[in-house]
Amino acid sequence: MISLLIVDDSLPMRSVIKKTIRAAGYGQSEFLEAANGKEALALLKNNWVDMVLTDHNMPVMNGLEFIRAVKADEILKTIPVVVISTEGNESRIREFMEGGAAGYLAKPFTAETIRDLIVKFLGEANYDEDYSGGNENLDF
Amino acid sequence: MKTILAAMKTSISEVMETMFFLPVEYSEKPAEKEVRMLKGKQNKACCLDFSGDFSGTVYLLVPIRSLKEMAENFMGEPGDLFGDEILEGTLTETVNMMSGNALRKVNTEVPFQLSIPRLIPGSEFPGGEGSMIIKTTGPEMAVHVILR
Repeated sequence: MISLLIVDDSLPMRSVIKKTIRAAGYGQSEFLEAANGKEALALLKNNWVDMVLTDHNMPVMNGLEFIRAVKADEILKTIPVVVISTEGNESRIREFMEGGAAGYLAKPFTAETIRDLIVKFLGEANYDEDYSGGNENLDF
Repeated sequence: MKTILAAMKTSISEVMETMFFLPVEYSEKPAEKEVRMLKGKQNKACCLDFSGDFSGTVYLLVPIRSLKEMAENFMGEPGDLFGDEILEGTLTETVNMMSGNALRKVNTEVPFQLSIPRLIPGSEFPGGEGSMIIKTTGPEMAVHVILR
């Protein structure tokens, strides 16, 4: 089972990311959710996750500020943090990577790109081919 | 303006097809009249500011019935029980994806910064030049871009 933290101020987008990951075969995943970087840091104080997927454009604390805070923490800095954002020109992506992001995925995204991302960082070991998840509409 | 509108059209098609499974057509009729018709329906609207080599605002106006259909497609769930948080979250995420994806396609010296999308009353949706009517197999909506 993998444990993921999804950081996005949009409730529907958090839900879509979760469903997409489940539909991509990771039916047994455990998810934590936060609406901004500050909430995410609070969650990470008491919960260990295998990977973080974060938006950038959020109120209170944006994605880049959040990544810098994670990477400045001796314990949390090993967790891969991937940015999933609409903001993605070259210089912005460079900023994310220099800030410590492990990767970047542009919105809009497909189920395949999300799956490739999880496999890249967490491997195929947890892939659950039998899981249907009841998300037929996400079969894109 | 032509560059940003062309990028916006491409972006809207990509977002609507990838995230909402809805193929898009653009109305060739004068947009002003159609915008007035959409404003006459129960609707929700939002906008997002951007700044960079040039600055502006992107507005999105969607009739509530259409927004429900979009949210159903987006979330993969029946929309009967969707409350305002889901509908408004879908609306603001849509303008965010449409704008960010469009601005990625525009070559600039200074990277664009996007604001957090904010809800506005449908009556504040601007008309005139810069308005586009987006038609899908289901929902119809209007987008307006203002450059400053």
